[in-house]
Amino acid sequence: MELNGGSVVAMIGKDCVAIASDLRLGNQAVGIASNFDKVFPVNDKLYYGLPGLATDVYTLREHLRFRVNMYRMKEEREITPKTFTHLVSSTLYEKRFGPFFIEPVVAGLPTPTELDPHPKPFISTMDTIGCITTPKDFAVAGTAADKLYGVAEGLWEPDLEPEDLFETVSQTLLNAVDRDALSGWGAVVHIITQDKVITRTLRARMD
Amino acid sequence: MECSFGLTGKDYVLLCSDMSAGRSIIRMKSDENKIKTLGPHLAMAYGGEPGDTNNFAEYVERNMRLYHIRNHYPLLPESASAWIRRTLAESIRSRKPYSVNLLLAGYDTTTTKPHLYWIDYLGTKAVVPYAAHGMGVYVSLSTMDKWWFNDMNKREGVDVLKKCIDEVKKRITVHFNFNCILIDKDGIHHIDIESEDPITELESQQPKETLVDAPNPPLDIGNVGVTA
Amino acid sequence: MALYHNPPMAYAQEPNTAPIEHRFNPYSDNGGSILAIAGKDFSVIAGDTRQSEGYNIQTRYARKVWQLTDKAVLATNGFSADGNNFVKRVKQRLEWYEHAHHKPMGLKSIARMIQTMLYGKRFFPYYVYNILGGIEEDGSGAVYSFDPVGSYEREACRAAGAAQSLIQPFLDNQIYFKNQQPESGAEPFIPGNLPLSTVLSLVVDSFTSATERHIEVGDGMEIYIVMKKGRSTDDLLGEGKLQKGMKVEELIPLGESSDDEDGQGGERTFLVRQALKRD
Repeated sequence: MELNGGSVVAMIGKDCVAIASDLRLGNQAVGIASNFDKVFPVNDKLYYGLPGLATDVYTLREHLRFRVNMYRMKEEREITPKTFTHLVSSTLYEKRFGPFFIEPVVAGLPTPTELDPHPKPFISTMDTIGCITTPKDFAVAGTAADKLYGVAEGLWEPDLEPEDLFETVSQTLLNAVDRDALSGWGAVVHIITQDKVITRTLRARMD
Repeated sequence: MECSFGLTGKDYVLLCSDMSAGRSIIRMKSDENKIKTLGPHLAMAYGGEPGDTNNFAEYVERNMRLYHIRNHYPLLPESASAWIRRTLAESIRSRKPYSVNLLLAGYDTTTTKPHLYWIDYLGTKAVVPYAAHGMGVYVSLSTMDKWWFNDMNKREGVDVLKKCIDEVKKRITVHFNFNCILIDKDGIHHIDIESEDPITELESQQPKETLVDAPNPPLDIGNVGVTA
Repeated sequence: MALYHNPPMAYAQEPNTAPIEHRFNPYSDNGGSILAIAGKDFSVIAGDTRQSEGYNIQTRYARKVWQLTDKAVLATNGFSADGNNFVKRVKQRLEWYEHAHHKPMGLKSIARMIQTMLYGKRFFPYYVYNILGGIEEDGSGAVYSFDPVGSYEREACRAAGAAQSLIQPFLDNQIYFKNQQPESGAEPFIPGNLPLSTVLSLVVDSFTSATERHIEVGDGMEIYIVMKKGRSTDDLLGEGKLQKGMKVEELIPLGESSDDEDGQGGERTFLVRQALKRD
């Protein structure tokens, strides 16, 4: 975790979710790249973030892309956030005694169905071996996790509209990573709503 | 005691590596080529555990060649970087991991864009405009932060590279000799970085003279370029 | 036969070459968190009251914030034995000063004195992070923060202790307005100029947040408010100004108010207490 640095935060809003990450990739204290995205889409209602060891970010991402594509072909439908969380979890637990050094964060909006016409926004997070937590407010992970907890606890409130959620998640991330030497160097925020995903790249302190 | 760096320009990429080989404080060789050409428009500067380095470089080289033979076109930089990264990522969780760090430089003939990848022994890959490995990190990264800019022409690129080398000579007590290549649409050229104006020298020569031997010339004779 | 002269020794008989060492560790960490925020003509210094060691709560009420003079309040955090003893020595030095000079020591002098006292134990430090808050000679609210060996700085706000990493970035955002910019045409943000009610809300939010996410923070909270002389107390004592569950008391002046020539009275210090979650 402390080798490459990086942080991810996800928050629940009113019929929307947000997930954001910083863009730094470092080699201990030396910054290598400021374009290292840690949040990836599964589909246009479901994103996930992989903060941690950068080599595992790629490996896990490639692996999950494969598993989701297989799911899509076999089931002929999109994977739900909850199912995807369990997919990530079991993928991590497969490596119980030689884990991926990643603490994933999942954020998504379940598609309305007949049985559940008003599904709740969904976020979840896991430890390195896949133990799931599904918070009702926000999820944080990465080298600035403790800072993110502090700011998010202070700024977040229930039922934020997409644009307010964007401001909340952006302020949370920026102020947390500014106090973390291993995170920062830019940030990217995704706001997922039922009809669109808003993705914005934030300018940040470059020190 | 290693030092390599690379930078991208408008339509080319520069790669530079020191040429020393040895153990701990002893240098046994000062003309070791640590840049491997992997295809007509692809090369890598590598370093790390002696033995692992050459073995891995040759493994990559032969696999790139194999792909070229099988498909009649070489692997593009993006795909090559993914393959190399994956190989290292699988290696790091094996019984005897390769301990090799590398900079992969390539010119994508389909998009006419230069590519540079920072890859380490763990399989960490970063897509970067400029990068360094080894002792050069501590002085050359800040030099490139200051002087590098978007869409530099070849002369400007070489100037930045020279600044990096000057900085290494000035600030690092170990003496290095540098080996340098430039990859553009015509292929991989050797650059004499010690000369006053390497680019004029390069341009005054026949393209064929400056081309670094690709390990094996492409199979489809008469069409040296890439047909993707 | 030389081969057999030293028969292989059984592992159980092998002598232990390294003796087991027992070394006394003179330090402990008692958790908790403190913070201070300066206003234009007041200063707020706060701390929680939980004292713990590891997962064990030693007490739910241990003081971490201390009134030193009418215009200075000190918060200590870290190893509480060192903290208590340090405050005792600071108070003693302040008393000597008053005897020698017939006036209480000023805030910035206390800050410098704390530096020398901490640095005096550079090679066996007080394991304590100090935050000093109060009213400066010019009547402005001030906060000084220290590291355990005396490095110090005047700031608009500071958090320290177990939940520093949770609270400080929040204060960066809310007090220093980091990553914020005023709307076009609006007044520029000036840190250290917030009204008392806003500052108090931020202090309470900081501690409730820290209590929520940090096991070493909780139980209760003590907020000291030092006000410049002559300042109105309406924004603290006025009807409905206190948040729910808060209790306020005014601390009796320590000085003899002999320098009360302008008839404004001296600086006034108030203590606000509020309960925090106990889990």
